[in-house]
Amino acid sequence: MGFIRLVIFGFIGLTVVYFSVSIYSRSVRKERLENEFDANHPDSGAPGARDTFVSEGLRAYDASIRPKLIGLIYVVPTVVIGTIIVMINAN
Amino acid sequence: MRRIKITFRVLVFLLIGGVLHYALPQRDIVRVVNTYQERQDLNDWTRIFWARPDDQSATLINRDVQFIQTVKQRTMLFGFIRRDSTEVMVYRNEDTGWSWPFYFKFDTANLQTEADDLLSTAEEPKWAVMTHYGWRNEYFSAFPNAIAIRPVENPNVTIIPWFNIAFFIFLMVAILFIRAMWRQFRERSVDPLLDAAGHQIDEVQAGVSARKGRISRWIGSWRAKDKR
Repeated sequence: MGFIRLVIFGFIGLTVVYFSVSIYSRSVRKERLENEFDANHPDSGAPGARDTFVSEGLRAYDASIRPKLIGLIYVVPTVVIGTIIVMINAN
Repeated sequence: MRRIKITFRVLVFLLIGGVLHYALPQRDIVRVVNTYQERQDLNDWTRIFWARPDDQSATLINRDVQFIQTVKQRTMLFGFIRRDSTEVMVYRNEDTGWSWPFYFKFDTANLQTEADDLLSTAEEPKWAVMTHYGWRNEYFSAFPNAIAIRPVENPNVTIIPWFNIAFFIFLMVAILFIRAMWRQFRERSVDPLLDAAGHQIDEVQAGVSARKGRISRWIGSWRAKDKR
Protein backbone atom coordinates (compact mmCIF):
# COMPACT_ATOMS: atom_id res chain seq x y z
CA MET A 1 0.00 0.00 0.00
CA GLY A 2 2.85 2.36 0.87
CA PHE A 3 4.47 1.40 -2.40
CA ILE A 4 1.31 2.19 -4.38
CA ARG A 5 0.98 5.52 -2.59
CA LEU A 6 4.57 6.41 -3.43
CA VAL A 7 4.08 5.43 -7.08
CA ILE A 8 0.87 7.46 -7.44
CA PHE A 9 2.11 10.61 -5.73
CA GLY A 10 5.53 10.31 -7.33
CA PHE A 11 3.89 10.04 -10.73
CA ILE A 12 1.70 13.09 -10.08
CA GLY A 13 4.69 15.13 -8.85
CA LEU A 14 6.90 14.11 -11.76
CA THR A 15 4.11 14.87 -14.22
CA VAL A 16 3.87 18.41 -12.87
CA VAL A 17 7.66 18.77 -13.24
CA TYR A 18 7.53 17.22 -16.72
CA PHE A 19 4.94 19.65 -18.04
CA SER A 20 6.58 22.65 -16.39
CA VAL A 21 9.95 21.81 -17.94
CA SER A 22 8.36 21.07 -21.33
CA ILE A 23 6.57 24.41 -21.41
CA TYR A 24 9.69 26.23 -20.21
CA SER A 25 11.94 24.59 -22.80
CA ARG A 26 9.53 25.35 -25.65
CA SER A 27 9.10 28.93 -24.47
CA VAL A 28 12.86 29.49 -24.37
CA ARG A 29 13.15 28.08 -27.90
CA LYS A 30 10.32 30.31 -29.13
CA GLU A 31 11.92 33.39 -27.64
CA ARG A 32 15.24 32.50 -29.26
CA LEU A 33 13.57 32.05 -32.66
CA GLU A 34 11.84 35.41 -32.33
CA ASN A 35 15.08 37.13 -31.38
CA GLU A 36 16.89 35.40 -34.24
CA PHE A 37 14.31 36.64 -36.75
CA ASP A 38 14.41 40.17 -35.36
CA ALA A 39 18.20 40.21 -35.57
CA ASN A 40 18.14 39.09 -39.21
CA HIS A 41 15.27 41.38 -40.24
CA PRO A 42 15.79 44.80 -38.63
CA ASP A 43 13.01 46.15 -40.89
CA SER A 44 10.61 43.54 -39.34
CA GLY A 45 10.43 41.62 -42.67
CA ALA A 46 7.48 40.70 -44.84
CA PRO A 47 4.03 40.50 -43.15
CA GLY A 48 3.53 37.06 -41.61
CA ALA A 49 7.14 36.04 -42.23
CA ARG A 50 7.97 36.22 -38.52
CA ASP A 51 5.08 33.92 -37.52
CA THR A 52 6.00 31.43 -40.26
CA PHE A 53 9.64 31.44 -39.22
CA VAL A 54 8.77 30.89 -35.53
CA SER A 55 6.19 28.16 -36.13
CA GLU A 56 8.53 26.31 -38.49
CA GLY A 57 11.32 26.56 -35.93
CA LEU A 58 9.00 25.18 -33.24
CA ARG A 59 7.97 22.31 -35.52
CA ALA A 60 11.65 21.47 -35.96
CA TYR A 61 12.07 21.69 -32.19
CA ASP A 62 9.15 19.29 -31.60
CA ALA A 63 10.75 16.80 -33.98
CA SER A 64 14.20 17.08 -32.38
CA ILE A 65 15.57 14.92 -29.58
CA ARG A 66 15.36 17.62 -26.90
CA PRO A 67 11.64 17.24 -25.99
CA LYS A 68 12.19 13.50 -25.79
CA LEU A 69 15.08 13.97 -23.39
CA ILE A 70 12.68 15.72 -21.00
CA GLY A 71 11.15 12.25 -20.56
CA LEU A 72 14.24 11.47 -18.47
CA ILE A 73 12.41 13.32 -15.70
CA TYR A 74 10.47 10.08 -15.21
CA VAL A 75 13.43 7.76 -15.74
CA VAL A 76 16.14 9.31 -13.56
CA PRO A 77 14.25 9.40 -10.22
CA THR A 78 13.08 5.83 -10.78
CA VAL A 79 16.67 4.70 -11.36
CA VAL A 80 17.89 6.72 -8.36
CA ILE A 81 15.24 5.20 -6.10
CA GLY A 82 16.08 1.71 -7.36
CA THR A 83 19.77 2.35 -6.67
CA ILE A 84 19.01 3.64 -3.17
CA ILE A 85 16.88 0.58 -2.40
CA VAL A 86 19.65 -1.77 -3.50
CA MET A 87 22.41 0.16 -1.73
CA ILE A 88 20.57 0.57 1.56
CA ASN A 89 19.42 -3.03 1.80
CA ALA A 90 22.49 -4.73 0.35
CA ASN A 91 24.33 -6.77 2.92
CA MET B 1 7.85 45.82 7.74
CA ARG B 2 11.49 45.16 6.92
CA ARG B 3 12.00 43.53 10.29
CA ILE B 4 8.95 41.29 9.82
CA LYS B 5 10.26 40.25 6.43
CA ILE B 6 13.68 39.36 7.84
CA THR B 7 12.13 37.45 10.74
CA PHE B 8 9.90 35.53 8.36
CA ARG B 9 12.83 34.62 6.13
CA VAL B 10 14.95 33.49 9.06
CA LEU B 11 12.07 31.31 10.32
CA VAL B 12 11.57 29.68 6.91
CA PHE B 13 15.32 29.11 6.59
CA LEU B 14 15.49 27.55 10.06
CA LEU B 15 12.49 25.32 9.34
CA ILE B 16 13.92 24.02 6.05
CA GLY B 17 17.37 23.67 7.61
CA GLY B 18 15.87 21.75 10.51
CA VAL B 19 14.00 19.35 8.24
CA LEU B 20 17.16 18.76 6.18
CA HIS B 21 19.27 18.26 9.28
CA TYR B 22 16.77 15.72 10.55
CA ALA B 23 16.32 13.82 7.30
CA LEU B 24 19.74 13.83 5.59
CA PRO B 25 22.17 11.04 6.44
CA GLN B 26 24.97 11.65 8.91
CA ARG B 27 27.81 9.39 9.97
CA ASP B 28 29.18 8.70 13.43
CA ILE B 29 32.22 6.72 14.53
CA VAL B 30 30.82 4.33 17.10
CA ARG B 31 31.59 1.28 19.17
CA VAL B 32 28.55 -0.95 19.69
CA VAL B 33 28.00 -1.78 23.34
CA ASN B 34 24.70 -3.59 23.33
CA THR B 35 21.44 -3.99 21.47
CA TYR B 36 17.98 -4.33 22.93
CA GLN B 37 14.32 -4.30 22.06
CA GLU B 38 11.68 -2.36 23.95
CA ARG B 39 7.97 -1.74 23.67
CA GLN B 40 7.28 1.90 22.81
CA ASP B 41 4.10 3.90 23.27
CA LEU B 42 3.28 5.80 20.11
CA ASN B 43 0.04 7.60 20.88
CA ASP B 44 1.19 11.15 21.49
CA TRP B 45 2.83 13.86 19.40
CA THR B 46 6.31 12.29 19.74
CA ARG B 47 4.97 9.78 17.20
CA ILE B 48 6.63 11.98 14.58
CA PHE B 49 10.02 10.80 15.86
CA TRP B 50 9.19 7.17 15.09
CA ALA B 51 9.15 5.59 11.69
CA ARG B 52 6.16 4.09 9.89
CA PRO B 53 7.51 0.74 8.70
CA ASP B 54 4.22 -0.44 7.17
CA ASP B 55 0.56 0.53 6.99
CA GLN B 56 -0.57 -1.43 10.05
CA SER B 57 1.97 0.43 12.17
CA ALA B 58 0.24 3.73 11.42
CA THR B 59 -2.67 2.84 13.72
CA LEU B 60 -0.83 0.91 16.46
CA ILE B 61 -0.57 2.70 19.79
CA ASN B 62 2.49 0.71 20.80
CA ARG B 63 4.94 -1.73 19.28
CA ASP B 64 8.37 -3.23 19.80
CA VAL B 65 11.34 -1.21 18.56
CA GLN B 66 14.92 -2.40 18.30
CA PHE B 67 17.74 -0.24 19.65
CA ILE B 68 21.52 -0.14 19.29
CA GLN B 69 23.50 1.23 22.22
CA THR B 70 26.87 2.70 21.32
CA VAL B 71 29.73 4.83 22.51
CA LYS B 72 30.48 7.41 19.84
CA GLN B 73 33.21 9.93 19.16
CA ARG B 74 32.10 13.44 19.92
CA THR B 75 31.96 15.90 17.02
CA MET B 76 31.28 19.58 16.50
CA LEU B 77 29.78 21.68 13.71
CA PHE B 78 27.51 19.10 12.04
CA GLY B 79 30.13 16.39 12.47
CA PHE B 80 32.84 18.16 10.48
CA ILE B 81 35.20 18.57 13.44
CA ARG B 82 36.12 15.52 15.45
CA ARG B 83 36.81 15.88 19.18
CA ASP B 84 38.91 13.66 21.38
CA SER B 85 36.23 12.65 23.85
CA THR B 86 33.42 10.13 23.55
CA GLU B 87 29.75 10.10 24.54
CA VAL B 88 27.00 7.54 24.59
CA MET B 89 24.47 7.38 21.77
CA VAL B 90 21.46 5.14 21.40
CA TYR B 91 20.02 4.54 17.94
CA ARG B 92 16.65 3.08 17.12
CA ASN B 93 16.60 0.56 14.33
CA GLU B 94 13.36 0.73 12.35
CA ASP B 95 12.32 0.15 8.78
CA THR B 96 11.33 3.31 6.96
CA GLY B 97 9.59 1.31 4.22
CA TRP B 98 8.12 3.34 1.40
CA SER B 99 7.37 6.45 3.43
CA TRP B 100 9.15 9.57 4.66
CA PRO B 101 12.09 9.93 5.03
CA PHE B 102 12.84 8.09 1.81
CA TYR B 103 15.63 5.75 2.80
CA PHE B 104 13.69 2.67 1.63
CA LYS B 105 15.15 0.71 4.52
CA PHE B 106 13.78 -2.81 4.85
CA ASP B 107 16.75 -4.59 6.40
CA THR B 108 16.25 -3.77 10.08
CA ALA B 109 16.76 -7.36 11.20
CA ASN B 110 19.99 -7.67 9.19
CA LEU B 111 21.28 -4.38 10.58
CA GLN B 112 20.55 -5.54 14.13
CA THR B 113 22.54 -8.72 13.43
CA GLU B 114 25.46 -6.74 12.02
CA ALA B 115 25.42 -4.52 15.10
CA ASP B 116 25.36 -7.58 17.36
CA ASP B 117 28.32 -8.94 15.44
CA LEU B 118 30.30 -5.77 16.23
CA LEU B 119 29.76 -5.79 20.00
CA SER B 120 32.99 -4.84 21.74
CA THR B 121 34.40 -3.60 25.02
CA ALA B 122 36.32 -0.47 25.93
CA GLU B 123 39.48 -2.55 26.33
CA GLU B 124 39.24 -4.11 22.88
CA PRO B 125 37.22 -1.61 20.85
CA LYS B 126 35.87 -2.49 17.41
CA TRP B 127 35.09 0.80 15.71
CA ALA B 128 32.44 1.18 13.08
CA VAL B 129 30.84 3.93 10.98
CA MET B 130 27.15 4.29 11.72
CA THR B 131 25.02 5.98 9.08
CA HIS B 132 21.86 7.42 10.54
CA TYR B 133 19.31 10.20 10.32
CA GLY B 134 17.29 11.91 13.01
CA TRP B 135 17.91 13.48 16.39
CA ARG B 136 18.58 12.21 19.87
CA ASN B 137 16.46 14.04 22.41
CA GLU B 138 16.29 12.67 25.94
CA TYR B 139 13.26 14.76 26.97
CA PHE B 140 11.08 13.62 24.06
CA SER B 141 12.60 10.11 23.96
CA ALA B 142 13.63 10.69 20.36
CA PHE B 143 16.32 8.51 18.83
CA PRO B 144 18.17 8.73 15.53
CA ASN B 145 17.35 5.90 13.17
CA ALA B 146 20.31 3.71 12.21
CA ILE B 147 20.57 3.10 8.47
CA ALA B 148 23.78 1.15 8.01
CA ILE B 149 26.87 0.12 9.91
CA ARG B 150 30.27 -0.88 8.59
CA PRO B 151 33.39 -1.78 10.57
CA VAL B 152 36.53 0.39 10.26
CA GLU B 153 40.07 -0.36 11.40
CA ASN B 154 40.79 3.05 12.81
CA PRO B 155 38.48 5.55 14.53
CA ASN B 156 40.27 8.40 12.72
CA VAL B 157 38.94 7.40 9.31
CA THR B 158 38.04 10.25 6.93
CA ILE B 159 34.39 10.32 5.90
CA ILE B 160 33.30 12.27 2.82
CA PRO B 161 29.54 12.84 2.73
CA TRP B 162 29.11 12.21 -1.01
CA PHE B 163 25.37 11.89 -0.85
CA ASN B 164 24.94 15.20 0.95
CA ILE B 165 27.32 16.95 -1.46
CA ALA B 166 25.32 15.64 -4.42
CA PHE B 167 22.06 16.53 -2.70
CA PHE B 168 23.03 20.15 -2.08
CA ILE B 169 24.38 20.57 -5.62
CA PHE B 170 21.08 19.20 -6.92
CA LEU B 171 19.17 21.52 -4.61
CA MET B 172 21.06 24.59 -5.86
CA VAL B 173 20.55 23.59 -9.50
CA ALA B 174 16.85 22.97 -8.87
CA ILE B 175 16.39 26.37 -7.18
CA LEU B 176 18.17 28.19 -10.02
CA PHE B 177 16.13 26.27 -12.58
CA ILE B 178 12.83 27.08 -10.87
CA ARG B 179 13.90 30.73 -10.73
CA ALA B 180 14.69 30.72 -14.46
CA MET B 181 11.34 29.07 -15.20
CA TRP B 182 9.47 31.61 -13.11
CA ARG B 183 11.23 34.50 -14.84
CA GLN B 184 10.48 33.07 -18.25
CA PHE B 185 6.84 32.57 -17.28
CA ARG B 186 6.55 36.17 -16.08
CA GLU B 187 8.31 37.61 -19.09
CA ARG B 188 6.32 35.62 -21.66
CA SER B 189 2.90 35.17 -20.05
CA VAL B 190 2.23 37.51 -17.13
CA ASP B 191 3.84 40.75 -18.27
CA PRO B 192 2.08 40.87 -21.68
CA LEU B 193 -1.23 40.24 -19.90
CA LEU B 194 -0.51 42.99 -17.39
CA ASP B 195 0.48 45.33 -20.21
CA ALA B 196 -2.74 44.53 -22.04
CA ALA B 197 -4.76 45.00 -18.88
CA GLY B 198 -3.04 48.30 -18.14
CA HIS B 199 -3.74 49.42 -21.67
CA GLN B 200 -7.40 48.47 -21.31
CA ILE B 201 -7.68 50.34 -18.02
CA ASP B 202 -6.25 53.41 -19.71
CA GLU B 203 -8.79 53.15 -22.49
CA VAL B 204 -11.68 52.68 -20.08
CA GLN B 205 -10.57 55.67 -18.05
CA ALA B 206 -10.27 57.77 -21.17
CA GLY B 207 -13.76 56.59 -22.21
CA VAL B 208 -15.20 57.42 -18.80
CA SER B 209 -13.76 60.91 -18.79
CA ALA B 210 -15.00 61.52 -22.33
CA ARG B 211 -18.51 60.39 -21.35
CA LYS B 212 -18.35 62.51 -18.22
CA GLY B 213 -17.51 65.45 -20.42
CA ARG B 214 -20.54 64.68 -22.58
CA ILE B 215 -22.90 64.27 -19.61
CA SER B 216 -21.75 67.44 -17.90
CA ARG B 217 -22.17 69.31 -21.20
CA TRP B 218 -25.69 67.88 -21.47
CA ILE B 219 -26.48 68.92 -17.88
CA GLY B 220 -24.98 72.28 -18.66
CA SER B 221 -27.44 72.64 -21.53
CA TRP B 222 -30.30 72.43 -19.01
CA ARG B 223 -28.81 75.01 -16.76
CA ALA B 224 -30.19 78.44 -16.97
CA LYS B 225 -28.46 80.42 -19.63
CA ASP B 226 -26.71 83.57 -18.65
CA LYS B 227 -29.20 85.73 -16.83
CA ARG B 228 -29.23 89.14 -18.11
